[in-house]
Amino acid sequence: MIKKSLLALSLSALLAAPAYADLTINGFASIKAGMTLDSDDTLYGYDDSLDFKNESLFAVQLMSDLGDKLSVTAQLMGRGADDFDVDFEWAFISYQLTDEVRINAGRLRTPFYKYSDYRDVGYAYDWLRVPQSVYGLGFDNIEGVSLYHTTQLGNFDSSLQLIAGAYDGEASISGTEVNAEIKDILGITWELSQDWYSLRAAYLIGKVSVGAEAVSLQPGVTFGDFFNGLAGAGFSALVNEIDIVEEDGEFFGLGFTVDKNDWLVVAEYTTVKVDNSFIADQKNFYVSLGHRFDTITPYISYEKEDNPAKDEIYTPFQGSLPPSLLLPVVGIVQSQAREATTYNVGLRYDFHPSAAFKVQYSSEDNEIADLRQDVLAFGVDLVF
Amino acid sequence: MRIKYLSLLACALLSASVIADIAVVVHPSNANAVSADDLNRLFLGRTSSFADGSKATPLNLAEGAAARDEFDSKVLSRSSSQLKAYWSKLVFTGKGTPPKELADDAAVKAAVAADPTAVGYISSSSVDGSVKVVANF
Repeated sequence: MIKKSLLALSLSALLAAPAYADLTINGFASIKAGMTLDSDDTLYGYDDSLDFKNESLFAVQLMSDLGDKLSVTAQLMGRGADDFDVDFEWAFISYQLTDEVRINAGRLRTPFYKYSDYRDVGYAYDWLRVPQSVYGLGFDNIEGVSLYHTTQLGNFDSSLQLIAGAYDGEASISGTEVNAEIKDILGITWELSQDWYSLRAAYLIGKVSVGAEAVSLQPGVTFGDFFNGLAGAGFSALVNEIDIVEEDGEFFGLGFTVDKNDWLVVAEYTTVKVDNSFIADQKNFYVSLGHRFDTITPYISYEKEDNPAKDEIYTPFQGSLPPSLLLPVVGIVQSQAREATTYNVGLRYDFHPSAAFKVQYSSEDNEIADLRQDVLAFGVDLVF
Repeated sequence: MRIKYLSLLACALLSASVIADIAVVVHPSNANAVSADDLNRLFLGRTSSFADGSKATPLNLAEGAAARDEFDSKVLSRSSSQLKAYWSKLVFTGKGTPPKELADDAAVKAAVAADPTAVGYISSSSVDGSVKVVANF
């Protein structure tokens, strides 16, 4: 009798289990290879020898529906650029409050751009890589909470996202990886889409800190050493204008997409500002035009970066600051100036229901360095 | 004699094109009208309710099933790669999950007949009294 009921219990537990642990496994991968076309060039992590690792990645996503509108999702990703070390790219719980409102909490993607959320899922878009002039900012992940509201407004599908959280990771200054933090991130994004077009706006603010102090300014001298020297000479106000310690940061982005009669247009414009820091104000945009011929989608795109150095940081000090201090200040401020245009030509070929072959040629013209660099890359994006 | 065979063949060809048509089916107790626009919204995850506000559970056919391609191109106006790209954007960002996929017409019919919230589609030739047809494409 006891045995029987035990058996029945374990059977019912087994039968009931799938209802509670409804596990969905999905994944995506990119295998890409590329190289620059000139021996001294380096761009997008490539140099002049063919590299299969730099832009390749693998990801597996586990989603478990816990019932009662609650689910948990983890996305594990290994990037070739990080030696395929596996990391949690996303890890969040999701609660479907109503038909129109969903709350996600955990590690999410900072919703700067149209393609932020799925920039790693190459299969979801036509380009070989998202336009780096706009998408190269970093700070891609956020730990926090996000509210999605989707509804119908007249003929439009409206999707509104509110996000709050913090970033704690790394940033790159003059090629050196340093600690970076953005606290008190608050953001709002709004996308309106119709049958064949969509419009999107994003606005985010936060308190930005970047540990530039450890970056070496010249052999044996770090930014930190130099800041101490400046402060010691009575110029701590100038240090405050340069260093990046809990500064007000502001991001603004606008975008639109068109998909009509197999013509595809995408454009995004973004601005980035970090007050009281040597980070240049950035104004970047790209526009892309493609055409779908059944399984083949060729495209061209143009990108522009306009990041003028903040000369106003040091101009008031030109009379008072001794040249031995002024020159490094000018150097630091000017190092952030960037004027560049890039054009890309490429195509996507849907050779398989779950995989697309892509090839893209990119040519970047760095106007300040007067340097043109070209990269050719190709590869396969797939989902499973 | 030859002419007769030919007309028979023509009949077979014509009926084949009729068989390729798809019927959108719901539970017999479901009184909602379902337009092409509603189907777009339901099968692209933009809504999860019928016109009267009651819960709707879209049921897809598996890739490779005859009516699936028809439905994707006639009703959703998208190729299967475009749809896969569309769902990738939602699945990998925690914003949605695609409709459940069933193996064939018989499976969809059985599921729809058993679930008052279900909406699915099958080849017109598979329709019987267990389900109610709300649209044909």
